[in-house]
Amino acid sequence: MTEAIRTVSRRGFLAAMGSLAAAPVFSGSTLAASLLNREAADGVPLFASAYRKADGEFGVGIVDELGQMLAEIALPGRGHGIAVARDGSRFVAFARRPGTFAVVVRPFEDAQPELITSDPGRHFYGHGCFSADGRLLYAVENDFAAARGVVGIYDMSGGATRRIGEFETNGIGPHDILLGPDHRTLIVANGGIETHPDNGREKLNLDTMAPSVAFMDSHTGDILSQHGLEKDLHQLSLRHMALDAKGRVWVGGQFEGSPDEVPPLVGVFSRDAEPETTVIPEAVASGLQNYIGSVAANAGGDVIAASAPRGGQTLFWSASSGAYLGARAIPDGCGVARIDQGSFLISDGNGALSLVTDPDDPAEILARPPGISWDNHLFNLAKIDAA
Amino acid sequence: MRLWVFLAAAVFFATPSPAADFNPPLERLIANYIRPATAEFAASVEKLPGAVTGICADNRPETAEAFRSAYSGSLQAFSRIQFLRFGPLLEDDRLSRLAFLPDPRGIVQRQIRKIYAQKDPGVGSAESLKDKSVAVQGFPALQLIAFDKDSDVVLGRPGADKDYTCGYALAIALNLAAIAVEVDADWADPDGYSALLLSGGPQNERYRTSQEAMEDVFNALVTGLIIVRDQDLLPALGASATKAKANRLPFSRSGNSILYLSGELQSIQNAVASLGLEAVTPSDFQWIFNALGFEFGNAQTLLSELTPPLRQTFKDDDAYSRISVLAITVKSIRDTMALELAGALELAGGFNALDGD
Repeated sequence: MTEAIRTVSRRGFLAAMGSLAAAPVFSGSTLAASLLNREAADGVPLFASAYRKADGEFGVGIVDELGQMLAEIALPGRGHGIAVARDGSRFVAFARRPGTFAVVVRPFEDAQPELITSDPGRHFYGHGCFSADGRLLYAVENDFAAARGVVGIYDMSGGATRRIGEFETNGIGPHDILLGPDHRTLIVANGGIETHPDNGREKLNLDTMAPSVAFMDSHTGDILSQHGLEKDLHQLSLRHMALDAKGRVWVGGQFEGSPDEVPPLVGVFSRDAEPETTVIPEAVASGLQNYIGSVAANAGGDVIAASAPRGGQTLFWSASSGAYLGARAIPDGCGVARIDQGSFLISDGNGALSLVTDPDDPAEILARPPGISWDNHLFNLAKIDAA
Repeated sequence: MRLWVFLAAAVFFATPSPAADFNPPLERLIANYIRPATAEFAASVEKLPGAVTGICADNRPETAEAFRSAYSGSLQAFSRIQFLRFGPLLEDDRLSRLAFLPDPRGIVQRQIRKIYAQKDPGVGSAESLKDKSVAVQGFPALQLIAFDKDSDVVLGRPGADKDYTCGYALAIALNLAAIAVEVDADWADPDGYSALLLSGGPQNERYRTSQEAMEDVFNALVTGLIIVRDQDLLPALGASATKAKANRLPFSRSGNSILYLSGELQSIQNAVASLGLEAVTPSDFQWIFNALGFEFGNAQTLLSELTPPLRQTFKDDDAYSRISVLAITVKSIRDTMALELAGALELAGGFNALDGD
């Protein structure tokens, strides 16, 4: 199951590509009005997430603010993260790690998705981000022969996407990547876990793993600073991130040590300060199975949400005070996206899209498209206004 | 002797327990639950078009009662299949076309208002209706045009829109009946989805083992329980009794909330029973089945103590606290299923929890 992408034969892959080419991006439900008449900036929030359908097919769904499916884009294998251009005009959906495909989607144009395949010796590692001007795409990748993480750099300005170079992330198993608030720094979470395509997703170095968050110059690839956690937390794989209003990075981890321990799971990182860990109340923390799935900030960057799918909880913090605000039970909830200043949309493996405005109130289930299992992450596709 | 014990233990722990064969339980589910339930659904909904024609041709208390009864009967039969969120119910958007749920923001109402404003002729026949929005095709749409806020039947009453509404209602009834026939036929087909479900193995692209097929079915049962609590009950309960909204209960407008909730829970209980999982569950975990029976029984008792229509009775007596206890009971059933029983059977749980990244 975990080798789904690896075992896709050339023929199977081309067949999948054929279906990708044959299915118009906007083969959405009868409910959907065409997206083509919309503008990226017309103010209606749209969201995208990878999914698995009950028939086993994988794809990316675009939903509106009521959770209604507007478009489905078939993928050749299981998807994961999505990089959204700041102007909202396009996004890139990445294969789940270790993957060999990524798909460029221009949701407001009558254009087929463009497939990108990873370079020989490189695998996409699930996430990516755009440069501020949208010209470049940065994709985390694994150089498995050398067991080192890299950021692949892609030129998106021409007709076809071209890989023009790479930077080292100075770590193993890079996962999430963000563009910093200065629009120049790249922030990479080096999860620290070594895998090899011959062994699928098997973890090869749990005793020696050393996860870190690296701050890199996107122009030169220089490592500006790099922070790990204290030695007793070296098995907390740092994986998913969100920026708060102060430009600090909230990082959610997955603990690979003893399941009997209850370590902190969310840390706050900055380029020039030592990381801090947050406190989750014991009663909540003990039920999370030491696993954070996604991290997101609200529109203002002052509330942070982190999902814990194995515990069926989504947790909230005040970014400014660091105060823990509470948790909301969402069974198998994992994808979290900002909606606006006061609310988050949370997607789950049972197909639901839930609106959370206040951790003290029950989540409002907006929609549950039958047969859809939403995959790990949910993204707001709206244009980000220049700061 | 001690060495022998040690070796035996080592062998015992080194050998993974052979994966259970889940085909017999799945065969029992299909034969003893799914096929009878989908056949009953088709038979119930078949009566709906006639009931619409009856009340529209001759509106009097008897025909109104006959329509109410046909609607409730169809809905009850639907409540017993709606949790089968795999295979035939997913083809051609059937489940969404049968019932566009959840709908907390009133999409059905908004779209129907638009249809009436334009007197859209597209809702006048089952053939054209099936190409309209899924939201305006099913049980919630029929409820909205056939019942008023006080749960009275208004279909067939004299008025400017009478003929239009009667035409639309008949189109929905025929559309529902057609979908029900398709679902029944697809499940009855020995070469259809049931064959896929029962052929888990290396040659099966979808299910590599019978356990994978069982996991899909099991997770659908758990999702059915999540829907009852998180989607059907909690929004109506709100944050407190003063914020409770009875009209958020499923099918409250037609006075069918209790019937529908009871059907949802009874059907999941019956589906679990039909699997006969006792046969593949280790003896240490046999208690689970008694626990489930006890908790499902408690849930039905709570529902039987409520008086329909809940829109009218929700503020009375102990309805709020009973439904609160019901929500807790359903959570407990879900935990018993998703944690205890799934654990005992070594079934994988949620998509993200199982295998995230």
